[in-house]
Amino acid sequence: MNLLDVSNLHASVATDAGPQPILKGLNLTVKPGEVHAIMGPNGSGKSTLANVLSGRPGYAVDDGEAVLDGRNLLDLEPFERAQIGMFLAFQYPVEIPGVSNMEFLKASIDSLARARGEEQPNTANFMRQVRELAGSLDLDPAFLKRGVNEGFSGGEKKRNEIMQLLLLNPKLALLDETDSGLDIDALKTVADGVNRYRSQSNGVVLITHYQRLLDYIVPDYVHVLSNGQIIESGDKGLALELEAKGYAWLT
Amino acid sequence: MADLALPQTLTLSEDFASALGEPVATLDEVVQQALNSAAHRERWKYTKADRFLAQTSASAKPPQISNENQIGVSWQRQPIAQPMSGLDLQQAPEAFARLCFAGEAMRLDITAPVTEPITLVHSENTLPVMIYVSANASLSLIEIIEGHEEMQQSVWIDIGPNAQVLHSRNALNDTPASWQYLNVRLQDAARYRLNNHALGCGIRRQDLHIIMDGQGAEAKLVSAGMVDNKAALDQQITMEHRQPKGHSEQTIHNIVANGGKCTFNGRIHIHEGASGTDAQLSNKNLGMGDNATINTKPELEIYTDDVSCSHGATVGTLSKEALFYLTSRGIDQTAAQALLSQGFLRQCIDGPLAATALEAMIGPQNTSDEH
Ligand SMILES: Nc1ncnc2c1ncn2[C@@H]1O[C@H](COP(=O)(O)OP(=O)(O)OP(=O)(O)O)[C@@H](O)[C@H]1O
Ligand SMILES: [Mg+2]
Repeated sequence: MNLLDVSNLHASVATDAGPQPILKGLNLTVKPGEVHAIMGPNGSGKSTLANVLSGRPGYAVDDGEAVLDGRNLLDLEPFERAQIGMFLAFQYPVEIPGVSNMEFLKASIDSLARARGEEQPNTANFMRQVRELAGSLDLDPAFLKRGVNEGFSGGEKKRNEIMQLLLLNPKLALLDETDSGLDIDALKTVADGVNRYRSQSNGVVLITHYQRLLDYIVPDYVHVLSNGQIIESGDKGLALELEAKGYAWLT
Repeated sequence: MADLALPQTLTLSEDFASALGEPVATLDEVVQQALNSAAHRERWKYTKADRFLAQTSASAKPPQISNENQIGVSWQRQPIAQPMSGLDLQQAPEAFARLCFAGEAMRLDITAPVTEPITLVHSENTLPVMIYVSANASLSLIEIIEGHEEMQQSVWIDIGPNAQVLHSRNALNDTPASWQYLNVRLQDAARYRLNNHALGCGIRRQDLHIIMDGQGAEAKLVSAGMVDNKAALDQQITMEHRQPKGHSEQTIHNIVANGGKCTFNGRIHIHEGASGTDAQLSNKNLGMGDNATINTKPELEIYTDDVSCSHGATVGTLSKEALFYLTSRGIDQTAAQALLSQGFLRQCIDGPLAATALEAMIGPQNTSDEH
């Protein structure tokens, strides 16, 4: 069975001037164990795809469908999508003062466990696991007491997203430019985190502008998204070609 | 509008009156005028003053005190013979009336750095409290307002040069009407911090007048309020910078939900000559549920050029971005809203009374906060 099936997806964003179509018949299939990279010019609709799949308010689906692990995603609330295994690593993670990272992570893991009929992890074990994960991503464990993403540098925010990915262990990870704003060492740390997450039963959709990330997280497929549609697909070689030639030759 | 009036004629010693510069004979009239002045009406615009005025002559008992048997501490009941520093008949005629009607006050003198916190518990109408902190002394003061009767408190704190007071106050009780008047004067390089936690009740009124009366004084106010279920909270703050190089910082977060009514008036007054003053105030209000009423008003009066002053008041709802972030991690809408509103209050809950305040304002705290 496919892990993710997006077919003929049409979606628009609500603007002051009314709904503006962004995705114009997008198709994408991810099988368990696969990594798909999505590249494409600024404004082509990459974040819109990630947002529509995770249920961010402000978008309307006009046509098509998206199925995750046999469940129709587009009917579900964002928290229900997360509960059936969807995860979005945000391009711009949100700062939430007053809610500590630890409290947030515990609320999240407890909600997911409840939804799946699993036992909630005991607090001591949970905290040990979170501290270990933080350490493995070069995040100072002191950050766990601070507000969610509060005062984090850009790179720390991205590493925090990957920490959540490893902790929550979803079926599908959508990573929206998780590599941008990272220094070289942090890029390796983040890539290493994603590689640890990868397994034969989950999938990764990686939105990026830089082929460099793909040296560390080797994709099975590379797609080019342009003007709301996937206009070209290939293997890792396509990313190299794009790096050399840009997008103009495709459009 | 009907005139506001005191429940009884004021009585006052000749000495007290002459120290105030008012002949005893005309005092009633002066107070009457102050009560009905435009400025005073404005301060009672959203809360009816009559009920509070009527209560000013009610009988009062000393608050319960603990830890008063320490070196450098004395606590006694004494007649009020002198106006204390900070007494302002024009600005706070009701507080003045309470003093006159009570005729006596509880006086706390702090003459050394005091190690154990001193706690005052007000479980009913209590006598005015005057606290004098000598130069270089320090005090951690805890005030708990409890009980379910109508009640009033008035507290004057005078902080000597280079002395310090850390003040924590919980007003979490449910009563038909409750009024806390607090006046703090800071002398040279004195430091004052107030952590205030308040729940709305029938009507809760909190007046705070801070007077930066010495060079380089520092005052910090952090306050969290929760006004739910048709309760009301009215906070009136005046920060007066009279001397140069003072630094004041105020952060007030209030949640108003389900028919609650919240009034906040934050006035910063920087006098001529108070150069180098740094005064910051931020009041954020979160409206939730149905029919929340929020009145917030910034007031700035600045008579000196060389100052840094910021004053912000916002009324808003929970951030949609933050809600989406939380729900995208599997947390349902209701739980995410609760986390966010708790986080909003928690930013202003601090100090030795934080645990009780969190419990009362947010609910039972689980262990995931431990580290
Ligand atoms: N809330 C919005 N209001 C108006 N226009 C929007 C909104 N969100 C997205 N858009 C528009 O939709 C288009 C697609 O945006 P999207 O963020 O999906 O692009 P992207 O491919 O992720 O670009 P980038 O590479 O710059 O991140 C853009 O033209 C953008 O301006
Ligand atoms: Mg984008």
